[in-house]
Amino acid sequence: MRQAALALVLLALVALPPLAEPYILHVAIVVLINVVYAEGLYVIMRMGYLSFGHAGYIALGAYTSALLSTELGVSVWLGFPAGGLVAALFAWALGAVTLKLRGIYFSLSVFAFAEVVSAAFRAFDVFGGPAGIAGVPRPMFLGTRLNTHLGFYYVVLVTALVSLVFLYRLGATRFGFTLLSLRTRHTEILAESVGIDAARYKTLAFVISCFFCGLMGAVHGHYLRFVSPFVFTFFLSTDLVIYNMVGGLGSFWGPLVGSVLLTALGEQLFAAGYYKSLVYAVVLLVVILALPGGLIQITRAREMGAARRLGWGKAPVTTAER
Amino acid sequence: MTPVLAIRGITKQFGGLTALNGVEFTVELGELVGLVGPNGAGKSTLFNIIAGAFPPTSGRVVLHGRDVTHLKSHDLARHGVARTFQQVTLFAELTALQNVLQGLHRHVPARFLAGVLGSAGYRREQRDLEGRGQRLLEFLGIGSVRDEVAGELPLGIQKLVTVAVALATEPTLLLLDEPGAGLSHEEATRMMNLVSTVIRERCTIVLVEHNMRIVSRYCDRAVVLHFGQKIYDGAPEGLTSDQRVVDAYLGVAELA
Repeated sequence: MRQAALALVLLALVALPPLAEPYILHVAIVVLINVVYAEGLYVIMRMGYLSFGHAGYIALGAYTSALLSTELGVSVWLGFPAGGLVAALFAWALGAVTLKLRGIYFSLSVFAFAEVVSAAFRAFDVFGGPAGIAGVPRPMFLGTRLNTHLGFYYVVLVTALVSLVFLYRLGATRFGFTLLSLRTRHTEILAESVGIDAARYKTLAFVISCFFCGLMGAVHGHYLRFVSPFVFTFFLSTDLVIYNMVGGLGSFWGPLVGSVLLTALGEQLFAAGYYKSLVYAVVLLVVILALPGGLIQITRAREMGAARRLGWGKAPVTTAER
Repeated sequence: MTPVLAIRGITKQFGGLTALNGVEFTVELGELVGLVGPNGAGKSTLFNIIAGAFPPTSGRVVLHGRDVTHLKSHDLARHGVARTFQQVTLFAELTALQNVLQGLHRHVPARFLAGVLGSAGYRREQRDLEGRGQRLLEFLGIGSVRDEVAGELPLGIQKLVTVAVALATEPTLLLLDEPGAGLSHEEATRMMNLVSTVIRERCTIVLVEHNMRIVSRYCDRAVVLHFGQKIYDGAPEGLTSDQRVVDAYLGVAELA
């Protein structure tokens, strides 16, 4: 049943776009980008870490790829993974230090790092200063530059699908499963006592989380054709948290549902006139009060089917920490 | 023969407070040793030092002849030390079996790329681990709760799950922190019967306990701490006739 639904969605994502208006394609692209951001963030939210600075890693990915293509003429196709790798590298360096912190201290440290990144991009001319970098090229494919929405849509789709499949499967591995055991200081001590090197696991999770955000950030920059500090702001970071909270942290599908619904909604509101933040805030309030486990709570009985198939017995219950 | 565990002159100071002062003792292979003392005697501090939660101010912890004083908790697990906690500590949101699986992880590499790709070998490994976890739960007589969420089980069963998690690492030295605390008499008896029969066949055990009666009944040997110093080390039968032990416990009920 679920597989049939999934196959249908996939088919629609692949086959319908040639029939769609450019504006619909634009919405689809923005949705796919945000889904990957939200699922990237989910990797660490799942282990009890809340980041208010993932936009910093997204920006690192976007600027890396933009600079490589505009300044050095490197192929955009190489710029994408390079963006992910640079974000991952910074995540590794920062994570090794900050993941010892828990709760609001971690959240603020990541926030501070993102502000530093943003300030650096604004301050130095090599990064284009406050104006950012214009003329970021679209990639070439079979001799044509993918300047149409349709062409670039497929780039985004492939990147998103690869990322999402990876992140989904990761959640059901021993590694992903162990992350669940690190959700509180208390259980982390237990995990350490049975031989789990918590610091290593947490750092790797943070690196993976930021790699996919950086990768999609690079794609994002080439979609917009420009990057600037004002695209990847604190508000992007908080939006990603909101997608996770609204969708629910109980399973992989929570952040996906949250980001699809809110991004699609947000794009409509953005076009209509800047009510996005207001509506996000109201939706978040309603969900927190009425459905603390997020929208996914409605279907939670059947969650994590893959985990069961992989031999984890009954589905792990991973309600949001409250 | 090299003792499993040798505590060599352990001193621990917290600021101006001396929690442990030159404590020395050894634990031989296959022993079940009770570490006893009134509240504040330093039992938990010593226990945490052995388990690698924090290092001593001075002195050494020697495991199978190897100095492990400064190893971290997760490294000690690799050297065969497992522990339980006085406050029931388990992965409350996971099932009993999933709890045990977390303990079994150290026997196989994480291989997360193979996991993401879902290779046949990885899935087989996963099934093997699950089988081992199931057998371990059955070994402790709680096989029927494998799919129950651990945090919702009765306290007595939760304590057994924590023991199963520790045993999953296949320790050579098992540290049990008041396994009977908070349990009903029946539950505590069930726990101690398991510890003193089938569990001790698998590993050497150090048991922290303030209940003298439990130590007398189940342990081979008792080590008594009082204000951070060892005041007794010998057969449990001798506890009640030792003047220093009696004095230390004076005013505390439950003696013998």
